[in-house]
Amino acid sequence: MTKRRLGVLAAVAVLVAAIAATVSPGGSAKTTAPAAGSVSILSLWGGSEKDAFLKVTAAFTKKTGVKVNYETNRNYEPALRTKLAAGNPPDIAIIPSPAILLSFAKQGALKDAGALGLSSSYLKARFDPGLTQLVTYKGKVYGVPAKGNSKSLVWYRPQEFKKYKITPAKTFTQLLGISKKFDSKGKTPWAVGAGDGWPLTDWFEDIYIRSAGPVKYQSLFTGKTKFTDPSVVKAMNLYTTILSDKYVGGLENALGTKFVDGIGKVFGTKPSAEMYVEGGFVGGIATQQTNTKLKPNRDIKFFPFPTINPKYGSPVVFGGDYVVAFKDSAEVKQFVKYVTSAAGGKVWVSTGAVTSPNRTVPLSAYKSPLVKAEALQIQKTKAIRYDGSDLLPSTLGADWQSALQKIFKTPGDTKKILADFQKKADREFKK
Amino acid sequence: MSSQPVAGTMPKRSPGQPRGVGSEQSGKDTLQGLLFISPALALLATMIIYPMISTIRVSFSQGLGLVYDGWIGLANYKELLSQDPDFLDRSHFPPSGALANNVRWVVVYITLSLVLGLGLAVLTTRVRYESMMKAIIFVPMAIAATAVGLIWLFVYSPDPNIGVLNAIMHGWLGIKPISWLGRESTVNYAIIMSYVWASTGFVMVVLSAAIKGIPQEVIEAARTDGANEWAIFRRVQLPLLSLPISVVTVWLFINVIKVFDIIFVMTQGGPGTSSRVIAYTMYTQTFGGRGGYGAAVAVFMLILMIPFMALNIRRFRSEALT
Repeated sequence: MTKRRLGVLAAVAVLVAAIAATVSPGGSAKTTAPAAGSVSILSLWGGSEKDAFLKVTAAFTKKTGVKVNYETNRNYEPALRTKLAAGNPPDIAIIPSPAILLSFAKQGALKDAGALGLSSSYLKARFDPGLTQLVTYKGKVYGVPAKGNSKSLVWYRPQEFKKYKITPAKTFTQLLGISKKFDSKGKTPWAVGAGDGWPLTDWFEDIYIRSAGPVKYQSLFTGKTKFTDPSVVKAMNLYTTILSDKYVGGLENALGTKFVDGIGKVFGTKPSAEMYVEGGFVGGIATQQTNTKLKPNRDIKFFPFPTINPKYGSPVVFGGDYVVAFKDSAEVKQFVKYVTSAAGGKVWVSTGAVTSPNRTVPLSAYKSPLVKAEALQIQKTKAIRYDGSDLLPSTLGADWQSALQKIFKTPGDTKKILADFQKKADREFKK
Repeated sequence: MSSQPVAGTMPKRSPGQPRGVGSEQSGKDTLQGLLFISPALALLATMIIYPMISTIRVSFSQGLGLVYDGWIGLANYKELLSQDPDFLDRSHFPPSGALANNVRWVVVYITLSLVLGLGLAVLTTRVRYESMMKAIIFVPMAIAATAVGLIWLFVYSPDPNIGVLNAIMHGWLGIKPISWLGRESTVNYAIIMSYVWASTGFVMVVLSAAIKGIPQEVIEAARTDGANEWAIFRRVQLPLLSLPISVVTVWLFINVIKVFDIIFVMTQGGPGTSSRVIAYTMYTQTFGGRGGYGAAVAVFMLILMIPFMALNIRRFRSEALT
């Protein structure tokens, strides 16, 4: 009898353990009931990005009377997947990764642009076809580009450049020269937030698109070119050459530094490095969070990531966000119309936090000189390509970050790490 | 945390009366008992049994959209144990990967938490400001694991201007700053230490309560027999503490198998994949779009925990019956 009770207890214990094992550790699954005349929106934006977006939604509410229930969740993907599995998605979500967006489209969870009242000519007049092409599934567009940033920027301190008589690099060789010069003066040329994997993916993308060209770039990140391709190995060599132990102030040190801390190393009150490669959002974080005393163009500035193969010039790697709709109510239609309009875009860019991929938003609407320069770069470039790691099917995205950290740490193992990664890519792209 | 529901759901019966004997009285008792436990059972069924069965079912499918979508057999388990070097890499010795990291956690975290907790419990009962000391040591237990992670991120920062640890090592001892979380050989131990910091207080409180429960006569008898303090600890207190120690050990074990939050905050499993553990793998796979594979990891984790839970309950029962 004791044994039987023991059995019952053991079963209960197993169940308790099961809670521990199955409870999702992700963000909260709070839901807001869609009241009449309102839209619920979920995105991962926080800080200045969120503030900027709330200004847009406030302007929208003022214009249409439709209320916006906004929710931030840094881990938007688990949040959306669980909400969707529970049959309770938000009306609208902001998704930065076209691959994740398409996975939702394939599930049949999203409304396409046509159903939302946005014709293809309407989209064509506003957005680069490359951007809408990425979120097209079976001929239908499932997301509208909302905002974006160039990720092909080298941030630096103009005063330091002046002090050492350095001019911004036009070629990769010059960039290596600048690194060498800073190093010889006892300075650390680069800060890298390698503790987060994604800044490394942006480094690689900037190098790859300039050394192998935009066509090959697109083919690599959509599973047509293999990651074991010689062009990838070649780009990795450039990647590990410039991000060498002495140029980044110690590889392990960089791997222990998060993205925002890396900005602090260059633009903080006690700088310990000279340059930082990342997107336009660095400007907002540096001047609003890291060090509010910074003056744009005097203390903080950027130049475009320099060319590698002159044939491919200076393309822009673009990281952005798409607006997607899980429902097609009248309010949702009003909202997508508003965010894709010039009026909505103007409100957004005037916050100084973002650039708009919308061609009908005039440059004069930009108030911050740094963001304006970035918008100019995006408008002038011949080739604009989406952030490659966001094109990878989702589990691969995380694995790719890990792989780049590994290569960063042990350049000698590059080929083996790429081969391992390709095995995973074979499996994921096959689906 | 884990053993509380157990007590609440034990079937009730009057002492001395065996259950299950076919008398009318006991049949009535059984019915009454069932009635009493039915709310708890209903709760367990919806919140635990159903999700568990569902998870097991999903683990035999691709699990796109986090739901069962067609039988694929043991493919997920096969891949998990033989083809996923990030989970278990047996190509070299010692094996590496998330599973190996979890073993590291089990050994280092449990040993350190127990030794430190026990040591502090024994020592704090002997000092004057006992309650104050205990309160100070217990405080980290009240901090959420994510906050613990953030605090220790600062402690471990490779920049001596930010990182306390490197400031001490660099400023006072003149050692070059070490990137504790950026180095593959140190990252796991660095995270483990911060988790030990957070849970030692709990171990200490439980064990010191148990120490208080040891009758003073036993200690005095030992002393009269000429035992020194070490002998009293080793030969009298420690054997009497073996039950609470085993309960705490199981608690620590479960804590360590499901550890996730602090790793997510501190390293996201990096650098590379060097600080991933089982629960972290489950998270990245499940919410990265491979629901079935993630479910397989969850089931694997569950299987790992069962023997320890059973052991704990057996221990609990045998002790309660004496």
